[in-house]
Amino acid sequence: MPNNNPLQPKKAVIKKVFKVTPTEKMFVISFVDPKDQEEFERNYTRPARFVQVNLPGIGEVPISLCSPPTQKGFFALTIRRVGRVTTVIHNLNEGDYVWIRGPYGNGFPIDEWKGRDLLFLSAGLGMAPLRSVFLYALDNRWDYGNITLINSARTKRDLLYYEELEAIARTYKGDGVKVIQTVTREEVEGVCKGRCHLYIPQANVDPKNSVVIMCGPPRMYQSIFDEVIARGFDPDYIYATFERRMRCGIGKCGHCNVGSSDSMLYVCKDGPVFSYRQVQRYPELME
Amino acid sequence: MRYLKLRYEDRDRLFEALRKYGEIYGPVKISKKTYDFRKVSRFDDMDLNYVRTISPPKKFVYPPHEVMFEIDREKGKVSIPEEDMGPIVLFGLHHCDIEGLKRLDSVFMGYPADFYYSRRRKHLFIVGYDCKPDEFCACNVTHTSFSTDGFDIFLHPLPDGWLVRVLSERGQALADEIGMEDASTDDFKAFERYQEERRQGFKWDMDAYVLRGVLEMHRHSDVWEELSEECLACGNCNTTCPTCRCYEVRDIPSIDGVHAIQERVWDSCQFEHHALVAGGHNFRPTVADRMKNRYNCKISPAYGTNLSYCVGCGRCTAFCPAGINFWENLQKLSEVSKHAK
Repeated sequence: MPNNNPLQPKKAVIKKVFKVTPTEKMFVISFVDPKDQEEFERNYTRPARFVQVNLPGIGEVPISLCSPPTQKGFFALTIRRVGRVTTVIHNLNEGDYVWIRGPYGNGFPIDEWKGRDLLFLSAGLGMAPLRSVFLYALDNRWDYGNITLINSARTKRDLLYYEELEAIARTYKGDGVKVIQTVTREEVEGVCKGRCHLYIPQANVDPKNSVVIMCGPPRMYQSIFDEVIARGFDPDYIYATFERRMRCGIGKCGHCNVGSSDSMLYVCKDGPVFSYRQVQRYPELME
Repeated sequence: MRYLKLRYEDRDRLFEALRKYGEIYGPVKISKKTYDFRKVSRFDDMDLNYVRTISPPKKFVYPPHEVMFEIDREKGKVSIPEEDMGPIVLFGLHHCDIEGLKRLDSVFMGYPADFYYSRRRKHLFIVGYDCKPDEFCACNVTHTSFSTDGFDIFLHPLPDGWLVRVLSERGQALADEIGMEDASTDDFKAFERYQEERRQGFKWDMDAYVLRGVLEMHRHSDVWEELSEECLACGNCNTTCPTCRCYEVRDIPSIDGVHAIQERVWDSCQFEHHALVAGGHNFRPTVADRMKNRYNCKISPAYGTNLSYCVGCGRCTAFCPAGINFWENLQKLSEVSKHAK
């Protein structure tokens, strides 16, 4: 039934399920109605927007898109099993239906970055939204300079997309793409040890002409802001994504508000991607 | 806008003429101290000398519970329920409540327009009614003490009737139907006198635009701990606020396991779960954090406007079970920041 209700979820089917880590699964989903899929692709132009995954009768959760806008015909979500709804989602199989609305949020302003080097910093589940940006940059390789991605997690088996990123690193070897994977809580072969900011000096990017893109727990942001600015990265080109409780995705339900009396932001509508300058303007984001 | 006059004895004719615009809801005394908008059948059933009702008129367009989707899991259908509301006349809304509806409009009718709110909102016929402030009223602070839009007709008491400001096209038709006469110079004088008395009645001498700066200065201050000591975090200020609009979505499955509804219910930013995300992190864990957020949100500009969400109706203060005075607190903050320099 066509209607003008922006909250109307659309029926979609799970095409494929990948077990990414012990607690995270990647779901490849496409809309049942090709018109819905078309509409989705029309609206998904900037990477790292998010969708609301609705399980009728159970609940709704906001999930970042981890597939880039350049991939057509489907989209992918990496979901950590952490609450009531995500537990149910984890029990779904290929061929099961979910209801989706979106995409929502602003996504990364990739068009403003043309001609720049890209430095990705990810911790834990932060790799999921960054994957969409990273793959987008690879698909538009001629638009960007050197690319370094630093992926970190607690242990090697918690590293998101470990195999995929290793394969990408091999494929793009000699093409200015570098992938560094690091773990903080164990020493194992094949990955580095320590937090992601330790490996910034090894990045093959020019600080004066690069973009820093980060996603992870807000705790790590301040130290990375300080670190990259001290290393001479341009503060106008530092971006991070933020998380809040979201119910509607369109700035109505009020849960994700941040800011103070001179202006309030809604993370779902004005975010979830914010620049360093916006973080300075809205220190509440870092709380 | 036309300025007309309705004689006191013509009030029942106005009431009868309004019936064709919908069921009439007006202020009624429901207990010793409280008033509420209830369905009324006669003009004299209403108590128009009320100061504020306990629940704001937002409940008509944004009900506490709204079923968003009806779900049939067997058929895989998610459908929108039929409309359950007919035309309604809201009689006797004060300036603050009219402005409150305008603030909600700015949020819910701003792009993308909320489907449920929009389909209820178009049913409203609004009759404004002028008022005298009490000690909790502060519409002078929030620049909402005199509405110039957002209603169909507005009644201002005169010694022998009402001065009627007629705004909308439906209002013009109504005025013609009753045959209201033009207001005379004496009526305007009486109207001015009434406005002057109103102005004298305001207790709080602050300005919402200045308060924005004051709250900015207290962004990282400890004063919120002190102010929130009494707060019970019950959320009463949110339910009685004409512009509070946070909602929570919940799914309620039926006992057969096949059908379910998804409904939205009013939420409160004073509740602990308001900023709690999956994984257990709470962005506003303490009562002080949440109180600071509410004060900032209320004084912040409404979506697409430069007007504060707060419309100065005073409900959050009048109905606070802990007796926390919103305006007194803001005044305290203003004084603290004066000393700071």
